[in-house]
Order: sequence, then C-alpha cells, then structure tokens
Amino acid sequence: MNPAVSNGGRRGLWAFFWLLVVFLYAPIVILVVFSFNDRILVSFPWQGFTTRWYHEFLRNSAMISALKASGYVALVTAVATVVLAIPASIVLVRRRFFGKGLVSGVLLAPLVIPLIVFGLALLILFNTIGIPLSPLTIMIGHVVVALPFAILTLVPRLERIPAWLEEASRDLGANALTTFRSITFPLLLPAVVSSFLISFTISFDEVVVASFIAGDQPTFPIYLYSQLRLPRQLPQVIAVAVVVLIVSVIVVVASEVGRRIADRRLERQIADFEESVA
Amino acid sequence: MSSPRPAGASAISLEDVRKSFGKVEAVRGVSLDIREAEFLTLLGPSGCGKTTTLRMVAGFEEPDAGRILLRGRDVVGVAPNKREVNMVFQHYALFPHMTVEENVAYGLKLKKVPKDERSERVRAMLEIVRLGGFGRRKPGQLSGGQQQRVALARALVNEPAALLLDEPLGALDVKLRKQMQLELKAIQHDLGTTFVYVTHDQEEALLMSDRIAVMNQGIVEQIGSPREIYERPATAFVADFVGVLNAIEIRVDEVLDLTAVMRLADGQRVEVPVPTGVSVGERVTVAVRPERVRVLPPVEEDKGSGSRLDGEVALVIYLGTLTQIHVDTALGSRIIAHRLSAESAGDLREGEKVAVEWDREDTSVLAEVEVPP
Repeated sequence: MNPAVSNGGRRGLWAFFWLLVVFLYAPIVILVVFSFNDRILVSFPWQGFTTRWYHEFLRNSAMISALKASGYVALVTAVATVVLAIPASIVLVRRRFFGKGLVSGVLLAPLVIPLIVFGLALLILFNTIGIPLSPLTIMIGHVVVALPFAILTLVPRLERIPAWLEEASRDLGANALTTFRSITFPLLLPAVVSSFLISFTISFDEVVVASFIAGDQPTFPIYLYSQLRLPRQLPQVIAVAVVVLIVSVIVVVASEVGRRIADRRLERQIADFEESVA
Repeated sequence: MSSPRPAGASAISLEDVRKSFGKVEAVRGVSLDIREAEFLTLLGPSGCGKTTTLRMVAGFEEPDAGRILLRGRDVVGVAPNKREVNMVFQHYALFPHMTVEENVAYGLKLKKVPKDERSERVRAMLEIVRLGGFGRRKPGQLSGGQQQRVALARALVNEPAALLLDEPLGALDVKLRKQMQLELKAIQHDLGTTFVYVTHDQEEALLMSDRIAVMNQGIVEQIGSPREIYERPATAFVADFVGVLNAIEIRVDEVLDLTAVMRLADGQRVEVPVPTGVSVGERVTVAVRPERVRVLPPVEEDKGSGSRLDGEVALVIYLGTLTQIHVDTALGSRIIAHRLSAESAGDLREGEKVAVEWDREDTSVLAEVEVPP
C-alpha cells in the first residue's frame, strides 16, 4: 500500500476512476442495449430483446453500399498514406538538410488545421481545377489528414533502428534500394502495420472533410449522419454502429497484440546492440 | 587468399585528404600509403580524425579535397557498395532479423555467388572465426565477443582489398579484448588481408600493428613501426600519447658530433642526439622512456657518458610488474623511472637522495608539429 495516500484518499481515487469509466463507456453500453431493444423509438422502457434491426440493416442496400464505399476509401487511403509516409519519415530521420524544420512542419500541419476549414478548401480547390467529386477526392483529402499520424508512428521506430545497420548493408555491396528492402523495411514493419491501421481507421470514420468532398456516393459516417433525420431508420443505424464498433475493436486489439509481439522481439535484439554500445 | 598482388605494393593511398564538418576541420591533410597485407593502425584520441579518415576510405564520407586510391584506382565519389573494402563497425552492426549465416552470406548473395559456393564459403569463414555450429543463431543470442567474430566473418568472407576496423573491440571487456587482439592479429596474418585498424588504445596499437599512424587534430604526426613510434617518438604529442614519457626542456650549452649537451653543477648533464642545425643557446625538448632511466645511489660512480642528474625520490608506486619511481631532479623537473618489481625497489624511500642516469641512445628530441594551413 502506498503510505502517501490516506484511506480516504484511496477511496476518492477509486470513485473518480469509476466515474471516468462510466463517463467514457456508458454511451457505448446504451448504444449496444438499444440495438437489441424491440422498439422503434430509441428510448426506455425496454420492450424485449430482438435482432431485427440487424436483419434490417443487412437488407438496407444504401447502408451496405455506404459501408463498402468507406471500406474502399479507407483501404486505398491507408495504402497511399503508408507509401508516402515511409520515404517522408526516412528523409526526416536520416537526412540532414537545410529547411528540415520547415518541411516537417509542412508535413505535420494538417494536425492543427481545423478539418472543417480543410474540407471547405478542398471543395473549392476541386471545383476550381475541375475535378469531379468522387471517392477519389475523398481519398486525396484523407491521405492529407492521415499522413501526419502515419509519420508520427513511423519516426520513433525509425529512430530506434541504428543508422550503422544501413551503412553495414551498403558496405557489403547493397545499393540504397536493396538496403531498404532487406534491412530497413523488415525492422520497420511493426510501425508500418500500425501506421496502416491508424490511417485506415482515421479515414473510415472521418466525416467532416468527407462531407464536403463526397460525390453521389456517401461514405458510411456521412450516411449514418444523414439517417438521423429519419426516426424510423434510427434503430438499424444503431445496430450497424454496434457492428462497426465490435469489428474495429477486434481489429485494433488483434493488431496491437501482434505488433507488441513483433516489437518486443526486435526490441530485444536492438537492445543487445545498445547494451554493447553503453 | 585475397590477392596475387606483390606484398609491399600499395593497397590504399591517401593523398592530402581533407574533410570538414561545418566549421570543424576533422581531417586536415592526411597522406598515407598502406601496403598490401599490412596491419596498419590509425591511433589517436577521440576527435583526432581517425574514424573520419576510415569512413572516407569506406565511402561513408566524401573528402572535401585530396585523392583516395584503392589499389591504384581513385575511389572518391564511388558509392560504398562499389568499393572493394569492407568494414567492421564499432557496434558490430549485425542485422538483428537475420541468422548468423544470413548475416555472413549477405555480401556474397549480393555478388550473386552461387548458392553452393556461398554456403561453403560461409561455413569455412565461420570455422576461421571459431563459430562453427553457430550459423542458425540470431545475433541477439550471442555474446559480445561472438557477435564481433560474426561481424569479422561477414566482412572477410567477401575477400576485400582491405578490411577497415573501427574500434571493433571497444565494446568488449578487458579480458576478452586482450584475447580478441591476439585472435585478430592471427587471422590477419593467416589470411594476408590488409587491415586498417582504428583505435585510441595505444597498447592495442603496439601489440597488433605492423605500422602505426599516430593522428592528432586531423593530421598524422608520425607513422612507423610500433618500436619506432614507442622508442623514437617524433613529436611531444606522440611521445605523450604512446606510453609514459619524460619530456624535459633544456637549453643547449654545447653541440658535439650531433649531440647536444646541457651542463649543470657537479658533472650533472643531459645529452641528446640532435639533427644538424641545432645551435648553442637553443631550447629543445628531450624525451626519455621511464624504463630507460636508472635510479642509483648518489655515491655510485659516474661512468661519464649519457645523462646524469641528482635528485630526491618523491614517490614510489607499486604497479604489479613494474614499480614506478618519481624523482625530483636538480633540473627542476620530475623524472619518472620504471623498474621491474622483481628487481626490488623496496629499498628506495621517499625523500632519499639518488642519481638518475640514462644513455644517449635512449633519448630523442621532440619536434614541434607543423600544422598545415
């Protein structure tokens, strides 16, 4: 027991902790509960258990196509983001050059630009240069939004990979590309997977930018938002939200566990080097 | 095994090589001729430019000026992967995600050596570094000494024109380091590969090298065999860096047959061989190694040649094999003498009056270093 905290203090801390848990998770619990409530109005009293909202959304072709559109946009966004983030991170970590601070600022700026401003700006840009709105335009917007997160995931990992490993590879006859393929990339892989999943998730539920630049095909969050106008649709919207929630929790937990295992294995090996350095 | 080239031919030549990082001049005009099959050590304190010099040979840094010839070919501007040299890094730099075998085979694979030949050469090289049977392990499962041997095998298996070693034993503990020094020397001797070795450890340099280039502040102050470097240091820096040394500044009282002499009262004197051009009245710095200094009772007869000074024992330090005796001399400077402990220095007490002597041949004059512009 920590003697610095009195019994009363301990009770207070526990109370605060549980209050926080309730505050964070009560909305989600209520969402799950209502998704099984056999009542068209989303409110108590409980009218009995049903799975019919789940059956209904599976038959709702507009919702399914919105889900598919989001999945497609998120997948392409994630791939493109990672492909752009890897070289950007390598340059930021490995190269010394004039104006590096500025470049990293430019790359990370989307973090602090309000999404609503950015969405509006993109809409005007696409209109001006005559690009029709489509899933492609959403992908372009989402890559910009996701890029800083992907870079911030890759950079710390890259900093942990000693530069002399790459020098050793060059020294043994590998060119820059082969060195990247056989040394840097395998060691960077856990962070690559993380940044892919982060980019995917960001794109999948991004609604602000997407709502400006989506064409005729709404993405899932846009569709969800638009259905709030129609009270009859609400229960199945809730049901689909629960499905998305569960799937994303499973994916994130699984990938995080996988990443930790891979990470720990590599960390151990890199730690050996650092021990010998110390 | 590496080459049919004649021993004594030049493996690597540096011609007035210079390199600055920003405002810091790391290498300020280094010229070196490294012979085939030679073990050459770049010795110096940290920041003296030795590692930068090595990295320029490897191709990780490009010189600002000067030429680097690898077996006669100018390699300035050639990428590291296109140079016939291999490097052993200070921190081994083994690839953590590959097995020992995969690490060692890496260079051969890139050179598209056929699989059978490749695995045979890898196996043979692992035998040479006494790691047969370790091929399937990952570097993380090996001790520091074993990792260092893998790094050595990984470089040597490519049969490089020269092997560059950047303080490869720096991370090992003292005992293992001593053992690896002998092993490295033996491997170099057996394979006949040119080794360019960087270290700040003078003992290591003396033990392993055919020749040593002592570097300080971006230039080579002296190059020569370990014996030459140790016994005839050319500059005050070399003398001080390589072993313990007495450096005494004297004013020349007379010059006779290329010997400068300073005379003091009671027949005391310092004699030193000098090059031509030293004249009476000039000040020179005289170097003498402690093990060349004899400490005698003052009553001992003066044999009349070499240097002799009266003094008083200031300190007697037992160092195991050696006993170090500090003597404050009439010249005003302190002279350090080494005696084998077995020869018993126990009879010398602090404050005792003694005489110190050494022969003319055991002294040299230290030159001022000329720093290139």
